Amino acid sequence: MAIIPNNHLTTNFEDKLKIGKYSFKSRLIVGTGKYPDFITMQKAIELSGAEIITVAIRRIDFEQKENMLSFIDQDKYTLLPNTAGCFTAEDAISTIRLSRELAIFKTDLVKLEVIGDPKTLYPDNEELLKAAKVLVNEGFTVMPYIIDDPIVAKKLEDIGCPVVMPLASPIGSGLGIRNPYNLKIIKETVSIPVIVDAGVGTASDAAKTMELGVDGILMNTAIAGATDPLNMALAMNYAVKAGRLAFLSGRIPMKLYASASSQMEGIVF
Amino acid sequence: MLIYVNDKEINLNENLTIAQLIDSLNLNIKSTAAAVNKEIVPKAKYAEFILKDKDRLDLVTIAPGG
Repeated sequence: MAIIPNNHLTTNFEDKLKIGKYSFKSRLIVGTGKYPDFITMQKAIELSGAEIITVAIRRIDFEQKENMLSFIDQDKYTLLPNTAGCFTAEDAISTIRLSRELAIFKTDLVKLEVIGDPKTLYPDNEELLKAAKVLVNEGFTVMPYIIDDPIVAKKLEDIGCPVVMPLASPIGSGLGIRNPYNLKIIKETVSIPVIVDAGVGTASDAAKTMELGVDGILMNTAIAGATDPLNMALAMNYAVKAGRLAFLSGRIPMKLYASASSQMEGIVF
Repeated sequence: MLIYVNDKEINLNENLTIAQLIDSLNLNIKSTAAAVNKEIVPKAKYAEFILKDKDRLDLVTIAPGG
């Protein structure tokens, strides 16, 4: 049984994640895929403390008995449609346009991913940039999933994306941060928020990612695929907050030799 | 008249609009989006868009995803 998280970090602590015209208290965005059932998904989302949850757009499965929507409190969460499974700009644009005909999404936030290769699920930069341009022009608040490439991040900022979402490692791999230096360079290159999307495997990955100074994390498999998704959701909730607070608090520099914590004056023997 | 809904063949005895078809499938029109022959149909048109023989209708909604 999971413990209900306490959302108070410190008194008077106001630290919001801003994405375009929207702002959120939670810096953790979670996916809805890969859960053993919708009840587990529902509880895990709650324990994660996330306010934004991602969903895919798919053909209706007439065999499906349960309706996913009935497990999601639409007043409480911001639903973020993704373009998962799209390999061209055209398909991604059509998916987003089609999602607008669902009376489900209350914001114009969209997660744009244009995949270039099914094995790595790495994005196709050329198609991604093309799709981002069109969707930004159509008024969407585009949140692009990218490789950890500062150049692409800058181009997307210039196009008008209010956030970039570089991977830490391949989607669902759980490998953690493969290149923390690139994430830092991206953070220094753009002036928009950076949300690390994909690759986090466990709570320490999440905390370390936040300690780099990025603005948030989007994850799915690390929670849904855990042996106990509910407690892992809670662990991620704490880890993202802990990592953020540690970053803001300024860690001590690393030194080769010891530095005593107890004062030297007054030693008896 | 034969139409395809999400690639599944459906025989219709009468002409139906997209809205009527969604209703006959017991789906919630609010959480359903439609494309006919890969062209997205605006929700405002569902009640007047009459499906024709051999039309390929895609009905979509949200699904689990990351």
